[in-house]
Amino acid sequence: MSEAAVLEQGAKASTMRPLVWAAVAIGLLVLCAAPLGISSYWLRVLTTVLMYVIVTQGLNVIVGITGYHAFGNGVFFGIGAYACGTAMVAGLPFVAGIALAIVMSAVCAFILGWPILRLKGHYFAIATVALNLAAVQIIIQIGGITGGAQGLALPLSDWDPKPLYIALYYLMLGGAVASTAIVAILLKRPLGFALRAIRDSERAAAVMGINTTKAKVYAWAISAGLTGFAGGVWAYWITFIEPSSAFDPAVGVKAYIMLIIGGMGSILGPVIGAFVLEIVSTLVWSGFLKAHQLILGLLIVVVCIVAPNGIINAFARLVRSVRRNDGAA
Amino acid sequence: MSLLSVEQLAVSYGDSRVLVDVGFTLQQGEIVALVGANGAGKTTLLRTLTGLVSPRSGSITFDGQPILTVPPYERARLGLAMVPEGRRLFQGLTVRQNLELGSRAAPDTSHKTEDIDFVFELFPELVRLQNRLSGLLSGGEQQMCAIGRALTARPRMLLIDEMSLGLAPVVVERIAGVIRTINRDRGISILLVEQDVGLALEIAARGYVLDTGRIIIDGPSSELLLRDDIRAAYLGLQ
Repeated sequence: MSEAAVLEQGAKASTMRPLVWAAVAIGLLVLCAAPLGISSYWLRVLTTVLMYVIVTQGLNVIVGITGYHAFGNGVFFGIGAYACGTAMVAGLPFVAGIALAIVMSAVCAFILGWPILRLKGHYFAIATVALNLAAVQIIIQIGGITGGAQGLALPLSDWDPKPLYIALYYLMLGGAVASTAIVAILLKRPLGFALRAIRDSERAAAVMGINTTKAKVYAWAISAGLTGFAGGVWAYWITFIEPSSAFDPAVGVKAYIMLIIGGMGSILGPVIGAFVLEIVSTLVWSGFLKAHQLILGLLIVVVCIVAPNGIINAFARLVRSVRRNDGAA
Repeated sequence: MSLLSVEQLAVSYGDSRVLVDVGFTLQQGEIVALVGANGAGKTTLLRTLTGLVSPRSGSITFDGQPILTVPPYERARLGLAMVPEGRRLFQGLTVRQNLELGSRAAPDTSHKTEDIDFVFELFPELVRLQNRLSGLLSGGEQQMCAIGRALTARPRMLLIDEMSLGLAPVVVERIAGVIRTINRDRGISILLVEQDVGLALEIAARGYVLDTGRIIIDGPSSELLLRDDIRAAYLGLQ
């Protein structure tokens, strides 16, 4: 971990900065223009990618920055989806549904965080998985306005499908940019320092005057709010949700893989991880219908061996070694 | 009135009693050594003082206020700063960021820059290293950074756990000098918890010897250093 952080630090301090900004600007321009020139299939793929950018940035806050391995963070995706869904079935507009998705998820994390964030290491990870499982049962048992086990059909939009999907794409794009900005700002704020201190040594952080429980709970609420937003938009996009799809453990696991292959605790790692995994898995799926899971699994293993600290840090290392050779020549 | 007063402190981990009945005091402006062999309970005692471990019974009073129910981060803000064993710097943060984090516990954060400059005055070698990740420093540099981090909290009292562990003698001398300086110039009280009994008693005015959870001997350092039992058990002298 420390080596990776050093490399990141080195890349930051060097002349990389303008290059990174240029890449980000070009990437954003391409993403803004993309809906004009791609098929509805690729629009859907890109919307999914952007949704995962948001979910992975949410995971980055609690796992990458704070060091608390929330394996079942997907629970907030489901809470966001159901908050938005039930609100809209009850007659509220989409905007209110999204606001509720963010608030409900954040509030749940805030309340659940006080007891659960006292657990350490794998106990915390297990507890979050249990939350995800429990949430499915709770939705089924509540029934009523949540639709229970039968699922929930959201009101259909008056818009034509094409402009609606483009609008939802831009909404996910906005969310992806906002969540990345939130991570960047957080890293520079006192709360971000406190969280990184907790990641390095929670005891030392407490003895240095940091209210660790409070900092962790805030981090998880931010993480949940971001994840809940993605869940809310997803629910409206997909129009029909049920407990097994909204609380699919695969959502959290996939975001976890994206975070690991992109680079934990970094600003752009989750973005890179989401793009690489989702697009590669789409390509592999269309190319190898029968064995795509096998091939995808192998690719993930290879990335973890070649770039154990994530693609972003492997890239920073590469840039540094190239530059060093230039200097020597 | 004493700044820190510990009475009849007992701590157990499960069934094993680590501290049986520990009592000691520390006056404002004093340097006191707490020495003992491995497993005597020194680190447990420090953890109890900072609030990381809850005692089974007893009391701790800091500046006239009972602090047993005060959480660790609040104790830090009351002026009880810790330099942990093994330094425990935040390795993912730079030296400067570590120092800035320390100042969060200060009663008034408006002196942050001034306090960091004061640390740089004490340890000029940290100036050059301030933007380096703290995990990359040498042991001695890390110890300087850890002491600096505790100082930016503007503490009234420093708890220093195993200051000399793993450091070269010349570095230990250097840091011991700084400890004397901050005690003399800033009036910061210091509790030195050490395995190196000779070193600790050389810096401190008074000492307590902890053995299997009890204070067995206490007195002025000069007297302790002359006692035959201490010379034989802890200094290897006959």
